[in-house]
Amino acid sequence: MSNFNFVPQPVLGDFKHESKGVSIVEQTKLAIVSVACPNDGDEALVASVQNAFACSLPDVSSVEVSNSGPYNGNVRWLGLQPQQWFVLFEQSAEQSAPLTVIKDQLGDTAYCTDQSDSWVSLEVSGPLAINALERICPIDLHLAVFPVGTVARTSMEHLSVIITRTGEDQFLMMSAASSADSFLHAITQSVRNITA
Amino acid sequence: MKKVKVLNQICIELHHMIINHPLLGPRDAAEFVYLGDASLINRPDASGDNAAQTFYQYLYLRDNPAGEHKELWYHEQGDRSWLVVTRNTLTHEISNVEMARDVARAAGGST
Amino acid sequence: MTQTNRIDGGLINRNQSYSFKFNNETMHGYGGDTLASALIANGIKLVGRSFKYHRPRGIMSAGAEEANAMVQLRTGAYTEPNTRATVAELFDGLEAKSQNHRGPLGFDVMAANDYLSPFLSAGFYYKTFMWPKAFWEKFYEPVIRASAGLGALSGQDDPDQYDKGFLHCDLLIIGAGPSGLAAALAAGRAGARVILADEDFVMGGRLNYETHTVEDRQGSTWAEVATAELYQMENVRMMTRTTVYGSYDHGIFGALERCTDHLFDGSGKPRQILWRIYSKQSLLCAGSTERSIAFGNNDRPGIMLAGAVRGYVNRYGVTPGKRVSIFTNNDDGWRTAIDLKAKGLDVTAVIDTRSIPVPYNVPNTATVMGCRVIDTAGRKGVHTLMLSSGQTIKTDCLAVSGGWSPNVHLTCHQRGRPTWDKKQACFVPGGELPVGMSVAGAANGNMTLQSALSAGHDGANAILNSLGINPTNTSAPRASEESSNITAFWHVAESKSRAWVDLQNDVTTKDIGQSFREGFKSVEHLKRYTTLGMATDQGKTANVLGLAIMAEYSGNTIEQTGTTIFRPPYTPIPMGALAGRARGKDFRPFRLTPSHKFAEERNAAFVETGMWLRAQWYPIAGETHWRESCDREVRATRESVGVCDVTTLGKIDIQGRDAAAFLDRVYANTFGTLAVGKVRYGLMLREDGIVMDDGTTARMGEHHFVMTTTTANAVSVFRHMEFCRQCLWPDMDVHLISATEQWAQYAVAGPNSRKTLQNLVDKEFDISNDAFPFMACGEITVAGGIPARLFRISFSGELAYEIAVPTRYGDSMIRALMQAGKEYNITPYGTEALGVMRIEKGHAAGNELCGTTTAANLGLGMMVSKKKDCIGNVLSQREGLNPDKPLQLVGFKPVDADISLSAGAHFVSKGREVNMANDEGWMTSVAYSPILNCSIGLGLIADGKNRMGEVVTAANPLKQSNIDVEIVSAHFVDPDGDRLRV
Repeated sequence: MSNFNFVPQPVLGDFKHESKGVSIVEQTKLAIVSVACPNDGDEALVASVQNAFACSLPDVSSVEVSNSGPYNGNVRWLGLQPQQWFVLFEQSAEQSAPLTVIKDQLGDTAYCTDQSDSWVSLEVSGPLAINALERICPIDLHLAVFPVGTVARTSMEHLSVIITRTGEDQFLMMSAASSADSFLHAITQSVRNITA
Repeated sequence: MKKVKVLNQICIELHHMIINHPLLGPRDAAEFVYLGDASLINRPDASGDNAAQTFYQYLYLRDNPAGEHKELWYHEQGDRSWLVVTRNTLTHEISNVEMARDVARAAGGST
Repeated sequence: MTQTNRIDGGLINRNQSYSFKFNNETMHGYGGDTLASALIANGIKLVGRSFKYHRPRGIMSAGAEEANAMVQLRTGAYTEPNTRATVAELFDGLEAKSQNHRGPLGFDVMAANDYLSPFLSAGFYYKTFMWPKAFWEKFYEPVIRASAGLGALSGQDDPDQYDKGFLHCDLLIIGAGPSGLAAALAAGRAGARVILADEDFVMGGRLNYETHTVEDRQGSTWAEVATAELYQMENVRMMTRTTVYGSYDHGIFGALERCTDHLFDGSGKPRQILWRIYSKQSLLCAGSTERSIAFGNNDRPGIMLAGAVRGYVNRYGVTPGKRVSIFTNNDDGWRTAIDLKAKGLDVTAVIDTRSIPVPYNVPNTATVMGCRVIDTAGRKGVHTLMLSSGQTIKTDCLAVSGGWSPNVHLTCHQRGRPTWDKKQACFVPGGELPVGMSVAGAANGNMTLQSALSAGHDGANAILNSLGINPTNTSAPRASEESSNITAFWHVAESKSRAWVDLQNDVTTKDIGQSFREGFKSVEHLKRYTTLGMATDQGKTANVLGLAIMAEYSGNTIEQTGTTIFRPPYTPIPMGALAGRARGKDFRPFRLTPSHKFAEERNAAFVETGMWLRAQWYPIAGETHWRESCDREVRATRESVGVCDVTTLGKIDIQGRDAAAFLDRVYANTFGTLAVGKVRYGLMLREDGIVMDDGTTARMGEHHFVMTTTTANAVSVFRHMEFCRQCLWPDMDVHLISATEQWAQYAVAGPNSRKTLQNLVDKEFDISNDAFPFMACGEITVAGGIPARLFRISFSGELAYEIAVPTRYGDSMIRALMQAGKEYNITPYGTEALGVMRIEKGHAAGNELCGTTTAANLGLGMMVSKKKDCIGNVLSQREGLNPDKPLQLVGFKPVDADISLSAGAHFVSKGREVNMANDEGWMTSVAYSPILNCSIGLGLIADGKNRMGEVVTAANPLKQSNIDVEIVSAHFVDPDGDRLRV
């Protein structure tokens, strides 16, 4: 057997961009696992999440950050739809596959699906980030309406986008990996349009 | 009320409206896909004697009210919930929005 | 040219001198000028020709309502026709040209139309040019269109960028005049999230055109101070140069912001932004628009609206005339006389239609009460007025005021219909206003400054209360009081000459009379018959005048006559702004497959399938035609091995205790019996019994399935299954998530596919025919531990697999497959070869799953289980879908093998006439088969399965071809499926 060269490719080639007031950084190590709660299994899932991650399950559109457990507690739970969450954490080479990690913790209290390769993730931050995003984001991102720890799924430039506020002027934006180029173009064009 | 015959379920995208999602609050109607009359929730019993007739009525006959209308919207660019939206067809006023799953359960739908 | 009409004062910046060109002549103006004020400063009276009669026309207003002064702005690809000089901000280097004339503006050969006016009255289109009929398209219409043309497009791509955006607020205030500023101060100080938008480049509205005082300051100074305070508030967004053009449902507004129109060079910024504004409440403070009075030859250059004349004097420091006269039916018109006198200008006469005592004392000016202007003289600029009293007056500018019309437009964009305020002779907002909208100031009929300021302030406070925000303890700004008496007066009956109502469309009082006599009496008919109120100004100055005159003819009240319906946009929106960024390759997003880079390196041709770009074929050296590449890819695959990216197929991850039972409901065939580690073909019906989609579904675990859908239906199938899960069977334990993007999936097909994969798959996984038979699936690893999924399924009809790896390895995987299959000359193939092979194999695809076909039509009737309920089962059995001789999917071969078939051809039995009555079905898909060396087709024909060997006609009337074709099995290649199972 010949040697095959399997190299994981970041969707946008480890994209980074810094301009006046806005920076865009591709998140290349983010593991994403979707977790669904079995019907009538709410209590069991709440207990297993509490047990493994010491955090509660967020409501739809909220974010919970775990306090302990795997990945030193750096695990974010995004409430995306009734009975479904995305679990986000930084993937390290030493650990087993993301799906296995989460499945090991939750056992049969949840249905899990690996989504790590389904999304391109960009951190958009800086004092002008919100000005750039208002060109494409129909959601009200005013800090009082969309505070830190809020997540929304919406559409930008015909693309489905999950946007999470991770800081006062910092957002994690996820969109389908296959249309990553168009997604990046939508954001960089917005930045160009406010800073040109 | 007069029943009208619909040729098929048509998905249309309506703009310039806001749907007050029970879980997410106000969202632009452009995030949603429209299906049609909320009576589509009430799928007949396929084992009934006159199933052909009841399915025909279920699928093809609709009320066409000038006024309040319960209709199904899907939050495709959002949380993937199906909603029952009560919308006035004359004014576009939306007086109620419910999770379709709750409506279906209340209507006796189960497994 | 010198600025002969520039006077002292105004809100312009005299330290900022701008040079500009009008009709190639260089002129000068100042910062803060509009093109119109700069033209007036330079003594230009004649700025254009009218639409129909090519009458000489001058500037008639100082705002968005301008009907005459339409100019072509800028040059080359940047040129823009039909812009209003009155709202075009002056900048250094601006170039403008007048429109609608042949030859020089001063001598327009088309002005002959004016003498043909008896033939060009209302409805001339419909009557004059009726005969001979053939002349209409070839002669009359082009000539009329050319002579009535407005400006011209560049014919080049628009080089500007445009953008869109979304804004949210508690309160949107539309218009920053006195009421809008008072409202913004009240709401802003109370902490509400406010957007204040104004179409002008300076906030203040009429305060900048008038000499009123607010809080003991000059009105414009007060506005400047208020504006400065508002700019300091973080909760207030100030938007100048922004027209809120439309009011939509639920508090949504459309607004156009002009970002670089006032700059010579936009330096790459978007020229304009189309905003969608979501407001909880809105306050319309759009002010009012002055209207004229119709009298003989009232369209001459120099005849203007009275408010505009003093506006040019007060705001821009220019005077439209040196000897100005005024013709009014109200007190406000007199302010023009007072303001001009205060500047030391010569006011010749004030002519008031009302027989009342002189309302203001204007020294050294003739004041004529109860009198009318009946005609004017001066072709390229008014010089004489003829009065009903018999007097003639020499003048170079006539300022006309017929009263002010509130700008109710946005209140009417849904169900609002304005009501007539008889005392103020104007329409005010009425009926059902848009949700959340209130109106304040002149737009609501608050015609004095103090009432406008109070209404804005109080209106904002009322809105704050409704939003649960406490108003601050302030009172409305104080202003000087004024009188605003008016006696309605519309047109001068004794005028014998034509009296213009709508200057932009050349509609006269006579046209309205003719419209009435010919039965077009409703305002909507009047509009369409005469074109009153159409075109770029949408009759802002003309509509009320026109319908009032119609009311007079019909003997109805104005209330009974009513208005035409106001629709968005309030002022014109460039097409570029509506398109925004969606141009060229940015028209919509595109999706790339994991092998895209690999395919690009091999010069693949790409095809758009939905948003996906898929490799269509991979040309190699020496191939000049796509068929050469496609035929080679098919042969290579069938003879050895080929690889194709099939990532685009939808993949839905289905989990839950009821997952199997759920699939039994959404698929026509059974899945509960599928063993773990196996794949089954699934057929999905719509509830009406028609086929919705098909694909394969693999059972990965007891409660875990992975479904594939067609590329085209990935989104709609997911939506349908969510509908089933949430609305039909809400308590089933089943959960869906799309995994389309998660896996890079490749079809590896051909007799050497297993050997190829055995080079790549880790040795602990046995994929021999015994261990991994046809329709097996499993989780494996490749290349030393890379996780993968393997499915033994075939679309081509060959021994074949689909192998999936996480998308991040997609690029590595295609290269590894090429390496693993090198000894077998592995060949990448595109969608063309994929399509050829599926036709050769007789698989139905998009052309057959076309929304009209049943399972029985496709030869899959047996799959619709009679033992269970599933979507579409009941109605698939109805009589109408099950005729005696149903359409059946079969294959077709041309009798003459050299002839190419065409899809869409309809079948007619041999010897019968080709017509609809004899239609028996149609050809759905065709391809050239490099295996059979001829054109082959799939098609639906009545009772096809029982007609094997029969020759029928495939008729294509569009190509006028009738081809003899033989009905054959749809499975051209390996009909028994032996190759799949080796």
